[in-house]
Amino acid sequence: MTIRLRDLSACFEGVIPSIIATADPDGMPNISYLSHVQLVDDKHVALSNQFFSKTAVNVRANPAAALLVVDARNGEQYRLDVRFERSLQSGELFQEMAVQLRAASAQIGMADIMRLRGIDIYGVVAIRHVPSPIGKTDFLPSASPQFSAAAEIVRRLSEETEIGAIIDTMLDGLRDRLGFGNSMALLMDRAGERLFTIGSRGYERTGIGSEVAMGDGLIGMAAAERRPIRVSDMSRVRRFGSAIRSSAAEENRTRTIQLPGLSDAMSQIALPMVAHGVLRGVLFVESARRLAFSHDDNAALAIIAAQAAGAIALSESEAVDGVPALASPLDTSTAGRPFRVVHHAYDDSVFIENEYLIKGVAGRLLVHLLRLYLEEGRVEFSNREIRLADDLRLPDYKDNLETRLLLLRRRLEDKGAPIQLIRVGRGRIRLALAGSPFLKEHR
Amino acid sequence: MRLDQDLANFTSSAVMIILGTSNDALQPEIGRAVGAVARPEQGEIDLVLSVWQWPGTVSNVRANGRLSVTFARPSDYVSYQAKGRAAVIPCTDEHLARAAAYIDATSAVLADLGLGREISAPWLITRDLTALSLSVESVFVQTPGAKAGQMLQVGR
Repeated sequence: MTIRLRDLSACFEGVIPSIIATADPDGMPNISYLSHVQLVDDKHVALSNQFFSKTAVNVRANPAAALLVVDARNGEQYRLDVRFERSLQSGELFQEMAVQLRAASAQIGMADIMRLRGIDIYGVVAIRHVPSPIGKTDFLPSASPQFSAAAEIVRRLSEETEIGAIIDTMLDGLRDRLGFGNSMALLMDRAGERLFTIGSRGYERTGIGSEVAMGDGLIGMAAAERRPIRVSDMSRVRRFGSAIRSSAAEENRTRTIQLPGLSDAMSQIALPMVAHGVLRGVLFVESARRLAFSHDDNAALAIIAAQAAGAIALSESEAVDGVPALASPLDTSTAGRPFRVVHHAYDDSVFIENEYLIKGVAGRLLVHLLRLYLEEGRVEFSNREIRLADDLRLPDYKDNLETRLLLLRRRLEDKGAPIQLIRVGRGRIRLALAGSPFLKEHR
Repeated sequence: MRLDQDLANFTSSAVMIILGTSNDALQPEIGRAVGAVARPEQGEIDLVLSVWQWPGTVSNVRANGRLSVTFARPSDYVSYQAKGRAAVIPCTDEHLARAAAYIDATSAVLADLGLGREISAPWLITRDLTALSLSVESVFVQTPGAKAGQMLQVGR
């Protein structure tokens, strides 16, 4: 069985010292005990570097090293092939290790000696179990490594204030700390009773802006039922969706963005994101492995989804309107070629240079901003003035504006459009134009 | 080089013995020994280990002879590292007797520190023992602190 780094968390408790072997450029080895090894993520460990040690010197010349860690519960040993990557002298991880090292050193009366100089980050290339004579208990995975990973993801979520950053922190955390590399987050469009994709990881296309109706598929069902839904073996489930080839041409024709997805998914899980009794969105994770999501994975993901929902709700309720934008002088110097923006009023779909961008409220928002730019030469706008604009006919959900703007911003990025939306502080946005737009409106 | 007698005594006591080697691609390897026999006059230390458990260590020594060994006292972290060239030699009766005595003594010391035999058993094994005869070229203080890495003895 493949041993994952997170399965070895019992080896990183600092109970039984780890060992590191390095070699200088002439091949002369150095072998040393380590005071502290920390799990960084599923592919990295961090080593404290208190002294200008031979280890530190060696790995800077020859990054290959061997690490031996011991499970404090049964003495089983694991050999890690590691490679030195970089050194850190500050940051969250550094502070965390410095605090732990101070506490541990004070206990053994070496507080002054063990001052942390830096931490060295190593990539883990391979993990092997060292042969053991003790029966067959050669591998005892940690009881629930998911929960320490979830704790770290939740801690990072609690630092974020902006919805886009909350989503990114969650999806990056799932990939880097739980090893779930194929995921997406959808937010609830409360006016339309639909969900739209606001971020994803691990797909060829991001699918940002793709929509799912309530009750539709695993994601829609999780939203409608407000319960996690898990499928552990999809080999007999026909995936109609995967037959649809998604392409720009297809988007242009249907004015619909396809949901991303793994064509060979075997396991899928969709979790509702609920806060304050209100459905905020859905977290969806999938894997090409059968039975990829254990009961504990399910629980850890539910905790993360709930925490993200709370952070999103708080972000929405604290959304500030920003001070009204000053009329900036007409920007006549816009360099670059002219480009064509077409707006179809009946569904508010917007095409840029004949490429479908988006429809609905987000489309209406973009056209509104573009009109103001063309009429007044302004590129900066406050959320407040957008909210109050009559021609926008915004749905009566005050807190949805931020997510609409986020969706629009990400879709513009995704398409590499000549218009980009830039957030310039809380409650304010700016249009960045790579050419002169020509707006054509079809009533 | 002649080894300091105190150091020789230290290597033969109930200390943890860890081995560092590297292959020709400069990939390091780790092993543990279960006993050491020092001959201070000759500047040699024989290290007894399980080739079943640490095959990489034995094949590296066989290939290029490079060997480093750190002796660390579990109770207070006092540590020394010896470096030099080694050869793989068959175990003698003295080696086997040393390994048996070492495992008994070290198990007891570790048990006193709260690591019972059920924890230390995977480190202290006697399956397929062989020995590495190290010709020491240099010795370093490895105890954590300001003197760590300082050379204690160097060969001519």
